[in-house]
Amino acid sequence: MTDYAVHEHEEFLTAADEALADPSLQSALSMLADTLGQRNKDAFAELSDSGLLRDRARAIKDATLAELDRHLETLEASVNRRGGQVHYAADGADACQTIAGIIRAAGGRHVVKSKSMTTEEIHLNRALEAEGFHVVETDFGEYILQVAGQRPSHLVAPAVHLRIPQVAKILGDDAGEQLPEDAEKLAAYARRTLRKEFARADVGISGANFAVAETGTVVLVTNEGNGRLTTSMPRVHIALLGMEKVIPQLADLPVFLKVLARAATGQKLSIYTSMITGRRQPGELDGPDEFHLVVLDNGRSRILGGPLRESLFCIRCGACLNACPIYRNIGGHAYGGVYAGPIGAVLTPLYSGLTHHPHLPHASSLCGACQAACPVKIAIPEMLVQLREQLHREPSQANRVENAIYRLWAAMLRRPRLYRLATWLATRTIGRWPGGWIRHLPGLGGWTGARDFPAPAPESFRDWWHREGQA
Amino acid sequence: MKREEFLARVRGAAAAGRAYRVHVRDDIPARVGYVGAGPNPAERLAAEMNAVGGFAQLVDSEEAARAALAELLVRYSPKSALCWQHPLLERLGLAALLETHGVEHWSHDLLAPLDQPTARAKMFAAEIGITSATWAIAETGSLLMAATGGRERTASLLPPVHVAIVERAQIVPDLFDAYAQLEAAGVENLASNVTLITGPSKTGDLELKLTTGVHGPGKWHVIIVR
Ligand code: SF4
Repeated sequence: MTDYAVHEHEEFLTAADEALADPSLQSALSMLADTLGQRNKDAFAELSDSGLLRDRARAIKDATLAELDRHLETLEASVNRRGGQVHYAADGADACQTIAGIIRAAGGRHVVKSKSMTTEEIHLNRALEAEGFHVVETDFGEYILQVAGQRPSHLVAPAVHLRIPQVAKILGDDAGEQLPEDAEKLAAYARRTLRKEFARADVGISGANFAVAETGTVVLVTNEGNGRLTTSMPRVHIALLGMEKVIPQLADLPVFLKVLARAATGQKLSIYTSMITGRRQPGELDGPDEFHLVVLDNGRSRILGGPLRESLFCIRCGACLNACPIYRNIGGHAYGGVYAGPIGAVLTPLYSGLTHHPHLPHASSLCGACQAACPVKIAIPEMLVQLREQLHREPSQANRVENAIYRLWAAMLRRPRLYRLATWLATRTIGRWPGGWIRHLPGLGGWTGARDFPAPAPESFRDWWHREGQA
Repeated sequence: MKREEFLARVRGAAAAGRAYRVHVRDDIPARVGYVGAGPNPAERLAAEMNAVGGFAQLVDSEEAARAALAELLVRYSPKSALCWQHPLLERLGLAALLETHGVEHWSHDLLAPLDQPTARAKMFAAEIGITSATWAIAETGSLLMAATGGRERTASLLPPVHVAIVERAQIVPDLFDAYAQLEAAGVENLASNVTLITGPSKTGDLELKLTTGVHGPGKWHVIIVR
């Protein structure tokens, strides 16, 4: 491993260990899995053919990605027709610069943001603050994290790792007053504080859950209403769109809406689903004067052309996180990237390079719970296996002892006489190992550190068959 | 990045990716996922709205709807209201009702002549939002609000209390039906903002405890004239 990778790997293990030893995080995580997991099942029960509906959503994603360039062009034409502007950004830095440029050109200074993982992915806040803009996250959970200087730990419940007393302390320290340890009162405090920000903001930045090509519409799904405020009150609205989020027609949208909220939170629909098409129309009293859509690649085209293209179907519902036994134990932060959980273990190495995150494809038991929970049935376990395989072909990642053992094994399997000799030897030597488990293997301490190796049986199947089986 | 360069890269990637298309069955029936509203859409609508934390009330006449609205004005005693201009609200005599209860009445025609900062201040200060809806969706318990001048998006967003009054003809059974209506009106005519509202503003960000009203209205009343 490269030094950097060793460092990341160690960091993952330490973070995972810390998470496992944190009782309040553990109880938050089990609550998350129990509550959301159950709600999710109940909500899907009502759709008689939910499996088929999920197949349809999957088919739409697949067909759209096959001609993504054409759909992007249609989207652009539609946005222009409604008085909006489209900008293309090759990577995160490009997108940050573009957005800063739009704000500067509009003479903006105060920016409000609604929750968007894509803006987290490109580290937009840091870039805008460096330009001197005042940026405020307005999703309640994200706001707490911004004040605390932390990263989100879940796709839809970003502050799930914090308990109420911790939040009261974080917000109270910021306000310079003591705040009650009470969910309602803390929410009321956030409402008051953030209303002032909405009133003075000149720019609102949102992500987009979907973009409809034929109408030029961006779709935002939220529960709090901050997404509506962000896109209605300031005079400029900028939406950042991961380019894989395009769907061709308005008629495709209900297919996704029917599965998204059910998978995310077990709701039939989230509280607010906003379809925003361009800037305000003549005669309207609210809504922005300017609408900008920033279309982001940032590694997506590389994924689109390759075997893990299916990861682009993801609608960021978070169901695979709630279903995952590993996530439920270590939480979101241990994954190290912006996207946590099973899909994060696929996306993070794809976006920022496999060699920087060698541990992630292994942070899964491959039990398949993620794929079963996924509203678009993404084959996450299969993709993790593919990534593991790729990892073994990286020269910097190779473990020489492990590779030598696999080579030896393969050679032996191709030579029956040698294989027989080897099993004969094994059963008569380590086959007699006391207890049947080997706790330490020379040169493979990393492997046996957390697992035991099964010793061969004292008698091979072949010998047993010769003795007993033919009778 | 230049547009052409960006799109060329996507074009190449999309073409290369076609080798990895997933197999999805091709016998999926057209209406898969359609839930519908059952025999009584108005009742279903009310039940779903109550299930998501709203307060839905079924009434049998416009007379009764006016009484229900009056009761809410007494309960919340707002100083000012931000209202849609809508035929149903006019038939109910909304303006007169607000006047009787001493509630300041703000709607498009009264706000439009004001300068922008003043109009905005009035909107932010409103204590109740009174609207109808474009459509109501029985299956999910949602209101579909298409914004136009006179049907402002903020009326259902800024005040802490939102009251909507809908009548039977506005109810569609399923989410799919609502989108069929939008399509029938012509996709090129889609309003600048179409929002589906399904409940009072909620957050589960604190220990997954449901807390209402963090940004949007925490109280959500719907009066359904059946
Ligand atoms: S991979 Fe599937 S389950 Fe996981 S967040 Fe994406 S859409 Fe949801």
